[in-house]
Amino acid sequence: MPEGYFGQYFTIAIFIVAGVVLVLGTFALAKLLSPFQPHTEKLTTYESGIDPIGTGWSQANVRYYIFALLFVIFDVEAIFLFPWAVVFERLGTQAFVEMVIFIGILTLALLYAIKKKVLEWL
Amino acid sequence: MNLPPIDWHAIAPELVLTAAACLVLVVDLFLPDEAKWIAMPLSAAGLFGTLAAVVSLLGAERVTLAGSFEVNDFALLFKALFCVIGLIILALSLDYFRDGRYHQGEFYFLLLCALLGGVVMASARDLISIFIAIETISIPGIVMAALRKGDVRSNEGSLKFFLFSVLSSALMLYGMSLIYGVTGSTNVDEINQVLPQQHEGLVAVSVFFVVIGFAFKVSAVPFHFWAPDTYEGSPPPVAAFLASASKIGGFVGLLVLMFRAFPAVAEQWRPAFAVLAALTMTVGNLIALRQQHIIRLLAYSGVAQSGYMLVGFALIGANADTNSQAFKATVIYIVIYGLMDLGAFAAAISFARRGGTYFISDYSGLWNRSPALAGLMAAFLLSLAGVPPLAGAWAKLFVFLASIEAQVYWLAVVMGVNAVIAAWYYLAVVKRMFFDVPEVSEPIETPYLLRAAMGLAVLALVASFVYPRLVTDLADRSVLESRGADVELSSP
Amino acid sequence: MPLSYVLVLAALLFSIGVYGVLARQHAVLVLLSIELMLNAVNINLIAFSAWLQDTGVPGQVFALFIIAVAAAEVGVGLALVILIYRNRRNVDVEGLSLMKW
Repeated sequence: MPEGYFGQYFTIAIFIVAGVVLVLGTFALAKLLSPFQPHTEKLTTYESGIDPIGTGWSQANVRYYIFALLFVIFDVEAIFLFPWAVVFERLGTQAFVEMVIFIGILTLALLYAIKKKVLEWL
Repeated sequence: MNLPPIDWHAIAPELVLTAAACLVLVVDLFLPDEAKWIAMPLSAAGLFGTLAAVVSLLGAERVTLAGSFEVNDFALLFKALFCVIGLIILALSLDYFRDGRYHQGEFYFLLLCALLGGVVMASARDLISIFIAIETISIPGIVMAALRKGDVRSNEGSLKFFLFSVLSSALMLYGMSLIYGVTGSTNVDEINQVLPQQHEGLVAVSVFFVVIGFAFKVSAVPFHFWAPDTYEGSPPPVAAFLASASKIGGFVGLLVLMFRAFPAVAEQWRPAFAVLAALTMTVGNLIALRQQHIIRLLAYSGVAQSGYMLVGFALIGANADTNSQAFKATVIYIVIYGLMDLGAFAAAISFARRGGTYFISDYSGLWNRSPALAGLMAAFLLSLAGVPPLAGAWAKLFVFLASIEAQVYWLAVVMGVNAVIAAWYYLAVVKRMFFDVPEVSEPIETPYLLRAAMGLAVLALVASFVYPRLVTDLADRSVLESRGADVELSSP
Repeated sequence: MPLSYVLVLAALLFSIGVYGVLARQHAVLVLLSIELMLNAVNINLIAFSAWLQDTGVPGQVFALFIIAVAAAEVGVGLALVILIYRNRRNVDVEGLSLMKW
C-alpha cells in the first residue's frame, strides 16, 4: 500500500472502483435475469399503494416554514450541548446549573411560540 | 478539571438585564391586549436595576470569564450610557407602540436584548465576545426595524439592514479568523503582544477586513447606504435606537479593537481611518444638505457625525499622550452624540405624533404652534451643529484639538469646513421653525414623558457645556489600556 | 496536510460568497452566499485550531458560536424574506428601491 498523504487516497480510489462495479454489476444482472412485461398499472409511481396524484415536484405548504425556522434555531442550539456533554462528568454542578439556565431561556422561546399559537396546525 | 471561577458581581448588570428581558417576554404573553403597555414600565424597571448594578460596581477593576470580560471605568461608563439610552427610547416608544398596536411586548423584549448586547460590548475584551456582543445588538435591531409588518418600506429597510449587517459580520469574521490564525489567540491583550512580530501583509489584510466590517456597522462612507433607508423605513423609535445605541455599540467595539488589540500595528491602518473619517464627514454632510425628510436628514447627519468619531482613530501613533487625548476625545464625542442625536429623534417623533409628518417643510412656524417643542428641537440641532452653549461644541472642539495635537492638520481643516456645511442644514431647519409662517396653527401637545426625557437631555447637554468636567472627568477615568497583572483570572 | 491548502480553500469559498452577494438578484441566494462566507470563516478557524494544537481551543469555540449566530441570522433573514414576499410577491434585491438618497 502506498504511503504518504496522497497515498491514502489510493484506498479511497479502490473503494470508489469497487462501489461503481458493484452497483453497475447488480443492475446489469437484474437486467439480464428479470422478465420484462409492463402494463400501465405497473408503470405508475409507487406511493404506499395509493394512486399518485400530481407530479413529484409539488410545493410544500408555506406554513411549514415556521416549523422549519424553529427547527433550525433549536437544532443549532444543540451544538452547545455537545461539548458540554462530552466533559459533563468532570465539570460538576456549576456547569449543570449553567446549562439548565441556557435551556431554560430556550424553553421561554418555546413557550412564546406555543402561546402565539405557532405550533398549532390550522 | 475545574471550571474557571466566575466573578458574579462583575457580570451582575448583564444578569439583571437578561432576567428583565426574559421577564418582559413572559409577562407580555399573559397580558391582555389593552394592558400590553405594562411591559414598558417593567422594561424601565429592568434598566434601572441594571443601572443600579452598574453603580454598585463603580471604581471596580475586575476581569473574569477567562480574561474575555473586563469591568473598569471605561466599561461602566458605556454600560451606564446604554441604560440611559434605553430609558430614553422607552420614553419615546410608549406612545408610538401603544397607539399603533405594533407588537408592543416584542418590541420591549427585543430592545432589552439589543441593549444587553451593548452592555456586554462595553466589557468584551475577546474577539469571540466582541462578535457575540455586536450580533446581539444587530439581530434584535433587524427584527425591530421590520416591526411594521404590513409596511413595504419597513420591510425593505429591514432587509437592507439585514443584508448589510450579515455581510459586514462575515467580512469582520474573516478578518478575525486570520488574526486568530496569525496570533494564536482571541484575547485582545495577547493579540497586541504578538501581532507586531507577525507577517506584515497578513496582519494588514486581516485588520483591513475587521475595519471594513465595523465600518458597515457604524455607517461610515462608503458603507453607509443602508442607514438612511433603514432609519426611514423602521418605526421612528427603532430608528432612534439604530442611530444611537447600535452605532455606539459599533464604536465601542472599534475602540476596544483599535486602541487595545491593534495599536502596535497602527502604522498600517491609521491612513485608512484618516481617509474613512474625511470621506464620511464630507459625503454625509453634502448629502444631508438636500434632504427633505427629517429622519433622513438625521440619518445623514449621523453619518457625518460618525466621521468626527472616526477622526480619533486616525490619530493613534507612537506618542502615548496624543493617543490618550485622541481616545478621550472620541469617548466624549460618542457620549455626547448619543444624547443629542437621541434628543433630535425624540423631538421629531413628538412632532409627528398625532397625524404630523416627518417632512421638514411642515416644521414651518413650529415656534408659534409649540414653543417648547421648537426650543427643544432647536437645542438638539444646534448641539449637533456644534454651536455653544451646548455640549456638542465641546465634543467637536476636543476632537479638533486632538488632531492639532497629533499634527494631522489636514484632518483638522476638513473638520472645520464640514462644521460650516453642517451648520447650514441644521440652521435651515431652525430658521424654518422660528421665522417661517406656519401653514396650520394647531398647537401640538407633547406627552409629559417625552417632554421630561427631552428636557433632561437638554439639561445634560447645557450642564456639560457649562461645566465640561462632567464629561472630561468621565473620559479621563475611562482608560482602556490593559493593566498587565489584571489580565489574569480574578478569583471571586 | 499543509495548512495552506485549507486556507486557500477557505479563501476561494469566501470569494465565491462575495461574488454571489454582489451578483445574485434573489434575496435567498444572497443569503446563501453570505452563509458560504461564514463557512469559509469556520474552515479557517478550524484549520488554525488544528494547526495551533495546544492553544487551538478558542478557534473551535469561535466556530461553534459562529454556527449558532449564523442559524439565528438565517432564521431572521428567511422570516424577513417571507414577510416581503407576502407584501410584494417577489424578493429580488434589485427591486428594493422604494427609498433612494
